[in-house]
Amino acid sequence: MPEELVRMDRINKFFGRVQALNDVTLSVNRNEIVGLLGDNGAGKSTLIKILSGALPADSGDIFVHGNRVKIRNTTDAMALGIETIYQDSALISQLSIARNLFLGREPLKSPRFFDRLDQDTMNEVARKLLKQVGIKKEIPPTTPISALSGGERQAVAIARAMHFESELIILDEPTNNLGVEETQGVLRFVRGARDSGHSCILIAHNIYHVFQVVDRIIVLRRGKTVADDIDPKRTTIEAVESIITGMPISA
Amino acid sequence: MLLVVEIAAFSLRSPAFLSAGNISNLLAFTPELGMITLGMTLLMTAGEFDLSVGSVFGFAPIIMWTLYNTHIAPLEVGFVVALLFAVIVGLANGWFVTYLKIPSFLVTLGMLLVVRGIALYVTDGFPQRTWTADAPLMKIVVGEFAIGDLYIYASLLWFILFAIILGYVLTESKAGNWIQAAGGNPEAARARGVRVTYTKIALFILTAVLSAYAGITSSIRVSAANPNSGTGYELEVIAMVVIGGTALTGGRGTIIGTVIGVLILRTMRNGIVLIGVPGLAYNIFVGGIILAMMALHSWLERRHHAGT
Ligand SMILES: Nc1ncnc2c1ncn2[C@@H]1O[C@H](COP(=O)(O)OP(=O)(O)O)[C@@H](O)[C@H]1O
Ligand SMILES: [Mg+2]
Repeated sequence: MPEELVRMDRINKFFGRVQALNDVTLSVNRNEIVGLLGDNGAGKSTLIKILSGALPADSGDIFVHGNRVKIRNTTDAMALGIETIYQDSALISQLSIARNLFLGREPLKSPRFFDRLDQDTMNEVARKLLKQVGIKKEIPPTTPISALSGGERQAVAIARAMHFESELIILDEPTNNLGVEETQGVLRFVRGARDSGHSCILIAHNIYHVFQVVDRIIVLRRGKTVADDIDPKRTTIEAVESIITGMPISA
Repeated sequence: MLLVVEIAAFSLRSPAFLSAGNISNLLAFTPELGMITLGMTLLMTAGEFDLSVGSVFGFAPIIMWTLYNTHIAPLEVGFVVALLFAVIVGLANGWFVTYLKIPSFLVTLGMLLVVRGIALYVTDGFPQRTWTADAPLMKIVVGEFAIGDLYIYASLLWFILFAIILGYVLTESKAGNWIQAAGGNPEAARARGVRVTYTKIALFILTAVLSAYAGITSSIRVSAANPNSGTGYELEVIAMVVIGGTALTGGRGTIIGTVIGVLILRTMRNGIVLIGVPGLAYNIFVGGIILAMMALHSWLERRHHAGT
């Protein structure tokens, strides 16, 4: 019996009169990689924004390790071990890699004097993490984000999620705007996440990418869950596509 | 670099430039504007700015001296009340900008008019007398002492102390990290748990309090609290901060840059007069330097991007 990590139960969300989510239920087990698919506007981003504290739900419950939790903001979500990596990866381009990694959770050094940053620790940890997420170039941790490529930025965001021992890492279209090489890097990370004890929710446009790395596929259509237990090893891409669009497989 | 060239040029043209009297003169007024620029640097790094600093500079000493002259309160209490007034102005600025999401340009322009208006209204436009009494508070704030031929005011030491503390806060502390993040990408910063609203409000308060303190310093030094003093300071302060390399759009700024910006503009104003250019021409130079600096910045940035 797999251990359930996160469960979102009967979530509803309206934007004015548009119902973006209609009684959506989603669960993720420990060490499980879940792919969340659906057409544009299906409600994928809205759903994970609720889980990551960026949006409030109108109704519904969230459970983490079986306990009902309130996620009011992103800080609550991070404290529960839920880390989200968005398309634009939400880094501060003027700040250095190290400062971005620790933003909001800065290590401090005594004597404190107005909360003195422990910059040695920040830089050292950053250097180690960059190696772990597969940046081979020797990039000093004091480099500002603005000097990095898209893939390197994504790698920094992923490094951040790994370092803070998030139990669940959510990636919303992490490979948009990335080159082939960089995309492979992200997918490799997702595959590896399971082995390092993390769970993942992966949202991606490219179904082939999702098929390559996930254990289970959930499909949203117009704010409703239309499938939540598709095993990518026992189905075809065409079958999943027809579930996404709601149209029979065209022969 | 620009500063060194400037000092060299002025000293060559006019030997009076490096005289002890002139340097004392320069160092007497510089800390007053300088203190405001320190607060403004942090505020602008966090992505906001404050046009009401000149009004607060003018009105805070009026509060202090009116309370004292009318025997309502001792000088020290007047001092505290004036600073509390600045806290309220900063809080109001910050609240309008963060909660009502009104651009800081409009909010602080409104505040500029309100505070200046109050200053003129309560004084009928007349300066408040200030006493040359030997209150210990006055000694601490602007006490004068001589090193050889050089007269130094305590305000210079306060300015240096504030600059060191705020420079340290900006680059070495968690608060500094938050300030830069709040200005660089507020949404992303918020998503990491940075309290952006709180940071910005705190900086509006800091800027207003430093402006009030600078205004009080000035009133003690020139022995008058004039409801019109500080008029136009907001633009001069912002010019100094921008010349010092702080981005108007936020996210990037340094205290050392600002201090250099202050010195560049102050020595320029002073030097221009000494070498016989009419003081009225000063603004031409300030404007010219700002344009040149911005052009240089954008050129460096473009070259940087081309290189990577
Ligand atoms: N902030 C918002 N305001 C109004 N409508 C929104 C907002 N965010 C999303 N929506 C609507 O909610 C629906 C789901 O959007 P979204 O979750 O972004 O879909 P997906 O990520 O699956 O493409 C869409 O109809 C979209 O227009
Ligand atoms: Mg989306």
